[in-house]
Amino acid sequence: MLSEIQLDALAEIFNVGAGRAASSISEIIHDEVKLSVPSIEFKTSAEISPEALSLNHGRFGTVRQDFSGSFDAVAMLLFSEDNALEIVRDMMGSQMSLDDLAEFEQEAMCELGNIILNACLSAMADMLSISLDSSLPDYKIASCDDILHAIAHNAGQDYILVLNIVLTSAKRQTEGQLILLLSSASLTNLIQHIDGLVSGI
Amino acid sequence: MPSHILNGVFNAINMGLIVVDQEYKVLLWNDWVFKHTHIRQTDVVGHKLSGVFSEPLSTMFLNAIKNTLAYGMPTVLSNALHRSPLPLYDLSVCADQKTRIHQAITISPILSPQGEKYCIIQITDPTTSIKREKMLRSHSEILKREAVTDALTGLYNRRFFDEHYALTFHNAMRQQHCLTIFMVDIDFFKDFNDYYGHLCGDEILKAVAQTLKGKLLRAGDVIARFGGEEFALILPNLPVGQAESYAEKLKDAVFDLAIPHCNSPLFKVTISIGVCTGVPSAEYDILGKADAALYLAKQQGRNRCVALAL
Repeated sequence: MLSEIQLDALAEIFNVGAGRAASSISEIIHDEVKLSVPSIEFKTSAEISPEALSLNHGRFGTVRQDFSGSFDAVAMLLFSEDNALEIVRDMMGSQMSLDDLAEFEQEAMCELGNIILNACLSAMADMLSISLDSSLPDYKIASCDDILHAIAHNAGQDYILVLNIVLTSAKRQTEGQLILLLSSASLTNLIQHIDGLVSGI
Repeated sequence: MPSHILNGVFNAINMGLIVVDQEYKVLLWNDWVFKHTHIRQTDVVGHKLSGVFSEPLSTMFLNAIKNTLAYGMPTVLSNALHRSPLPLYDLSVCADQKTRIHQAITISPILSPQGEKYCIIQITDPTTSIKREKMLRSHSEILKREAVTDALTGLYNRRFFDEHYALTFHNAMRQQHCLTIFMVDIDFFKDFNDYYGHLCGDEILKAVAQTLKGKLLRAGDVIARFGGEEFALILPNLPVGQAESYAEKLKDAVFDLAIPHCNSPLFKVTISIGVCTGVPSAEYDILGKADAALYLAKQQGRNRCVALAL
């Protein structure tokens, strides 16, 4: 399990990543965007429920990448249907429903997820001096049940980091979640690296 | 697989493939990229990618390669957000093309068994699917519009009205707002048709529809063709006491059209209106009340408005 100080260190890492992601996104959409990780929680898969992930029962736009290397992790970025639509609308000036989102807009959502996930995990790689490989990002529309099922299906990945993410643009503030699924071996490994970072400060 | 076959594969593939090493030097440049640049592989291999095109590359594209090489994580550059990052052209028709083709780009890391880092840039041209999606989208918008429109008058149809009524009723009930329904019927319409013919009847329907529609003031106000020669208006949040005067305005507007109707006592086309207004709750039938009011207006001699409280 993670102590306060370890969680603080992780929050720091992810905020660095979020900052990098924000500057990439701002550059692409030619508009100032801020990204922050106000809170981070640590859970075991037994504790996972819609409430624990602060998921409502609607649908979500999800982007997933599988990371491997110094430790293995499944990373999933979740935006609720309304939030995903708002983001795409702001980026593209599009007026579609989630089902009508064409390949075109889905790609934009996929790229946005790719930027955030890569930035967070590469900040982690930098600050913990580790290296990570990653699969290509995969965009899907998923229900709350689909997400819980995907988590349960990753047998062996018993630990879950839940990062609450806030994307702020001139027009609005959008909240989402970044979920990181870890096996116990990966968690142990991660904790060791965090301890290395903390003791080095 | 022998390397000459492998080269054949790279060149047969219908997407652009460029491989660069850690120093951004080009190792592979397939035929697809040649076709879209007219720059040969032999002229670029061993040269830095940033210098091989005739135009400078965007920082976003170069940063994506840098990050992929540095962190070993793949990067996607969607067509939606980048359009055309690389100077690639459709040179098959005209060798002097000025418009870049659309591109969707994926940059993936490759690690050699010796630990050397490379990255492969895959480029596809999504133009066909963009065109198809645009076409499907515009068709679907037209169909959506047609599905809720009355073909003759151009007003909303009964299908739209029923859905919209249910929605505004629910909203008014939840927010405890006032809802006003007007039922409008053209007087002696059957006699008009019998005398002037159905084509003239259609013209009357259009004229009355346009006149009533022209009296709508606020964005949330809706008028629909309810059926035959009947129209219905939904006005949420109309200030108390204004429903009847508004109905009078509608009635006068049609009267002022001064359309001759020799089978009507006034020798003009007129309308009767039933109004019901109030804060709805589930047990109230505001539409039924407005219809009953219309019936009274007809009974009391037509060319008039009757209001019933909810």
